[in-house]
Amino acid sequence: MKAAVDAWVEEPLLRFVRDARVRLALVLEASGRVLAQHGFTRSVDVMSACALAAAIQASSAELGRQLDGAPFGSLHHDGSDRQLFLGAITTPGGLHLLLAVFDDATSIGLVRLYFGELRGRLAAAAPARVASDAVTPALDEHFERDLDLNLARLFGRL
Amino acid sequence: MSIVNYAAREITCKIVYYGPGRSGKTTNLHYIYGQVPAERRGQMVSLATQTDRTLFFDFLPLDLGTISGFTTRFQLYTVPGQVYYATTRNLVLQGADGVVFVADSQRRQLAENIESLQDLHANLASQGVDARTVPLVLQYNKQDLPREMIMDASELDDELNFRGVPAHVGDALHGRGVFETLRGISELVLRKLTATADAGAGR
Repeated sequence: MKAAVDAWVEEPLLRFVRDARVRLALVLEASGRVLAQHGFTRSVDVMSACALAAAIQASSAELGRQLDGAPFGSLHHDGSDRQLFLGAITTPGGLHLLLAVFDDATSIGLVRLYFGELRGRLAAAAPARVASDAVTPALDEHFERDLDLNLARLFGRL
Repeated sequence: MSIVNYAAREITCKIVYYGPGRSGKTTNLHYIYGQVPAERRGQMVSLATQTDRTLFFDFLPLDLGTISGFTTRFQLYTVPGQVYYATTRNLVLQGADGVVFVADSQRRQLAENIESLQDLHANLASQGVDARTVPLVLQYNKQDLPREMIMDASELDDELNFRGVPAHVGDALHGRGVFETLRGISELVLRKLTATADAGAGR
């Protein structure tokens, strides 16, 4: 698994991927921040998927509240080749989401079954929310030099 | 809030382009998208209405490369500017590490600029965030329009920039000021990260 940000998510997600046989999987916070991923090859694609998953969750939760009095817990989209499952997970650290993409190697029933197990494992493993200033990097005091150089390269100004 | 992965030495920051409808927020992102090599950015996602107004948000992930040994990535978002999209605006603003306020320099749009700036502060307050602590950069867009139609930078400073934050004149359609604005907010966001780390180390 690549780019797992939070170690407590890694093992439960890996187990879910193996058991449910999904192709792509993401665990993210409701705000769209990635916690762990499996199957994506580019970090920018991970960020796009997270942003869109968070938007879907926010929209469907509000739709659920308006139509049903409570947010919808999960969504399933049945595509022609691949299917998508989005489920909400409540942990001591707040609301998290699972986005899973799968094909005919598995089924929505199995994905739902193992999602239930994943939800339990993550709820048990999740730390309580930590203060934001507890996890900040110390950048070099001359970081502006790197920033200027990188932005200039990015915009083709070098 | 930034995501920091110490093991991989990665930083991911969320920047939100805020402002009234049609002020040029999406245009800023389109220009950046067009300038940046494909391998350093993701697809630009635009959830728009049939009349091409932003419905939910625009989104553009950028890979800034390595800064002080940290692989640094920015997620650029815009909010829908129209007044009736207040809920989605508040949602997109959540977790923002920095805000670019794109003002429409047209004289007749001044009231909309002020209303949108007040809306920004109200939304931050509703999320328990002190607006004075959020890195903010202003962009006075559409400065390419005829002089008689627009306010100049000093006039706009007087009306909008009561915090004295960095402000850049812009013509996002043709790229003027877009780079400088992104550079300005990037520096403020990264500087805040560093300052917070220093404060943490001093405790």
